[in-house]
Amino acid sequence: MQFDLNEDQALLRRSTREFLEKEAPLAETRVVMEESAEGYAKNLYAQLGDLGYAGLLLSEEEGGLGAIAFAVVMAEMGRVAFPGPFLDLTLAVQMLANCPEASAREWQDRAGAGSALVVIAQGEDIGSTDPASPSVVFEDNRVRGSKVFVPFGAQADALIVSTAQGLALVPRPGAGWNAMPLTTLDHAQRFVRLNFDDEAIRLTDPESGAALLADALRLGALGASAQMFGIMERSLEIAVAYTSEREAFGAPIGSFQALQHRCADMLIQTESTRSATFRAAWAEETGTGEAAYLSSVAKAWAGPAGRFVCGQTIQLLGGVGFTWEYDPHIYLKRLKTLEQFHGSTAWHIENALANAPLMEA
Amino acid sequence: MDLCFTDAQIQFQSEVRDWIGAHLERPFTSEVRDSAHDANSLVEVRRSWQKKLNDAGYLGMRWATEWGGRGATEVEEAILQAELNRADAPVIPNFLGVSLLGPALIHHGSEEQRRRFIPKMLSADEIWCQGFSEPGSGSDLASLRTRAEPDGDNFRITGQKVWTTFGPWADWIFVLARTDPEDRYGGISFFLVPIDQEGVEMRPLKQITGESEFGEVFFDGALAKREHLVGQVGEGWRIAMTVLGYERGASTLASPAEYESQLRGLVSALEQRGTLEQPLVREKLGRLVVENEVMRANGLRTLANIAAGIAPGPESSIQKIFWSEYHQRMTDTAVELLGPQGQLEARSPESRPEIDWAYQYLWSRAGTIYSGSSEIQRNIIAKRVLHMPTAR
Ligand SMILES: Cc1cc2nc3c(=O)[nH]c(=O)nc-3n(C[C@H](O)[C@H](O)[C@H](O)COP(=O)(O)OP(=O)(O)OC[C@H]3O[C@@H](n4cnc5c(N)ncnc54)[C@H](O)[C@@H]3O)c2cc1C
Repeated sequence: MQFDLNEDQALLRRSTREFLEKEAPLAETRVVMEESAEGYAKNLYAQLGDLGYAGLLLSEEEGGLGAIAFAVVMAEMGRVAFPGPFLDLTLAVQMLANCPEASAREWQDRAGAGSALVVIAQGEDIGSTDPASPSVVFEDNRVRGSKVFVPFGAQADALIVSTAQGLALVPRPGAGWNAMPLTTLDHAQRFVRLNFDDEAIRLTDPESGAALLADALRLGALGASAQMFGIMERSLEIAVAYTSEREAFGAPIGSFQALQHRCADMLIQTESTRSATFRAAWAEETGTGEAAYLSSVAKAWAGPAGRFVCGQTIQLLGGVGFTWEYDPHIYLKRLKTLEQFHGSTAWHIENALANAPLMEA
Repeated sequence: MDLCFTDAQIQFQSEVRDWIGAHLERPFTSEVRDSAHDANSLVEVRRSWQKKLNDAGYLGMRWATEWGGRGATEVEEAILQAELNRADAPVIPNFLGVSLLGPALIHHGSEEQRRRFIPKMLSADEIWCQGFSEPGSGSDLASLRTRAEPDGDNFRITGQKVWTTFGPWADWIFVLARTDPEDRYGGISFFLVPIDQEGVEMRPLKQITGESEFGEVFFDGALAKREHLVGQVGEGWRIAMTVLGYERGASTLASPAEYESQLRGLVSALEQRGTLEQPLVREKLGRLVVENEVMRANGLRTLANIAAGIAPGPESSIQKIFWSEYHQRMTDTAVELLGPQGQLEARSPESRPEIDWAYQYLWSRAGTIYSGSSEIQRNIIAKRVLHMPTAR
């Protein structure tokens, strides 16, 4: 038994951290979230694509590094609240790799190289989403209907759209997307509602489409949990550093037991997220058959745990914690976004319960 | 990363399972429910279970062969504990002896002490209790005042210990006593004291569960022989603190295994009540399942680190807080979801057969107090893991 990363994975973590801290520090996230319409740094995505990051989830022959490496990278991206749909991109690349359609290959290569942005468009109207029977249709080589909360949909070069007839690939139409931006509390996000009446290529039938969407949900939950872990880890570092420096009543506030116990609780939540996430990644990588259960366990745990950690970091910084200028809110917001996507907390609780070994008769 | 057991470990696990299947007559919950039993006869059930475990070589598995060991690792010990808990096997009456005193004797005791005490401790022919806490010294254990004064070659012990688990049935007590009032840590020594003597009085104390599993002990010039001093005079604190760390691995998988069995019981009870499909019930139940699985992930991580030779640091405090507080959340929720029935005592008509929820609900209050309270564990995390500043 061994919990630690192997040498390659540890090296990947170091080099990813160095790369991101240099190229994408939190200050960059701010610039992107406040000033850029795109919402992400295209050149960085191309660089990461060159380095093979977008293909992390591919098979080994195709340059993938496995689910543990994927979790390692996602955790690092969480630490800097890396802007843009990188998780969505890796999921799309993985999905394309499993579509037999020839045009899927071409898009897989471009997306994997970071030169094209491809994301999955799955969500439908709020409250009525039934992933099993989308209302969007594929007919006469066109996709018609509406998808909502498509991450960075307006910027995408192509979308993988779930339709009642299976998955379809919609390249960006000549006139551009019919997209309506949705702004959320995380200004680094670029969600849109998309109305389709566009030429498309069918990628799968409904059945294999559903299987690929289930894979994407499971892997997305894992990636989101890993990002949430990175966010929590960094957030707690900020809280501990600040409370060790800041003085009140003639002492560093971090010497007050109330705050020490709060930080201890934050550590428990954070480290437990690490354990649950990497265990799920390990199950995914080794194919133990528990992957769906364990990734739901991780995601169901990480959301509430992360909300607590990020919320308490704001609390422990006092007034400055409530300012736009200080960083804790960036983590809280990203955390909240991640909790809502790739399966909500409630969905994963139910999925964990339904798949729990103890529910077997 | 590798969170798998080896083939040999899996083999061991199935051996243990088979062995338990063949030797455990019925779950301990059923023993408790049996109105033919009283507190004493339940102790005998536990004693005879310990004897079986000992005969099968399942106690002290990591110790040298001559002390019952079989060259086992902490992983195997963790597997054994998890299987025992899963099956709701009785807790051995000498659990404090085996987990604390055994390692103390093996690592710090004399050859004669090992010969004299270990075999009977393992066979449960002598039951041990732990005399650390005092009325004035619990969390701040090093402030203890029970004193041991030289009397010729021997020592005389005077003072009071309290919350002494299994005291009412114990033959011997291992005691931390002060040999130097000036030296907070270096003034504490570790003694083995027979309870059946003039100068020792054991009184049972009634717990919130209604039982009297622990007691208080009064020492009035009780005799502790020189040969029953463990280590040297003044080494008691160091010995006590190091032995507390030896059993770090054994419990890693035991709590989630135990709670998983309890959750299974909850699921079947909810099924019978017809509420298992209610969304609110499922959310609460699902959350418990998720948290228990996260606890298991933490446990696997700790165990894997131990197996890889990485000393567990903060993990043991995280683990202690997690299982003890989880048990409270779980029993709170279970008793709530079971409605009035959740409060029925084991021997009441119409009580749930699989889990004694009323007892578990009350018993769960203990875990956050003993073995370093939740508050003390959080202090440890803040200081030793997060390195937060100390008050000036
Ligand atoms: C079921 C049970 C079995 C036990 N069995 C044994 C046994 O066999 N042998 C034995 O020696 N002892 C035993 N104990 C005793 C146990 O170890 C003590 O109860 C424990 O150490 C706490 O000490 P105390 O009861 O004096 O509480 P106190 O130390 O007085 O604590 C009271 C409260 O104050 C908090 N507190 C104390 N110090 C701090 C601090 N620095 N910061 C923040 N909060 C603090 C505590 O967390 C607790 O909530 C047992 C206890 C129980 C409940």
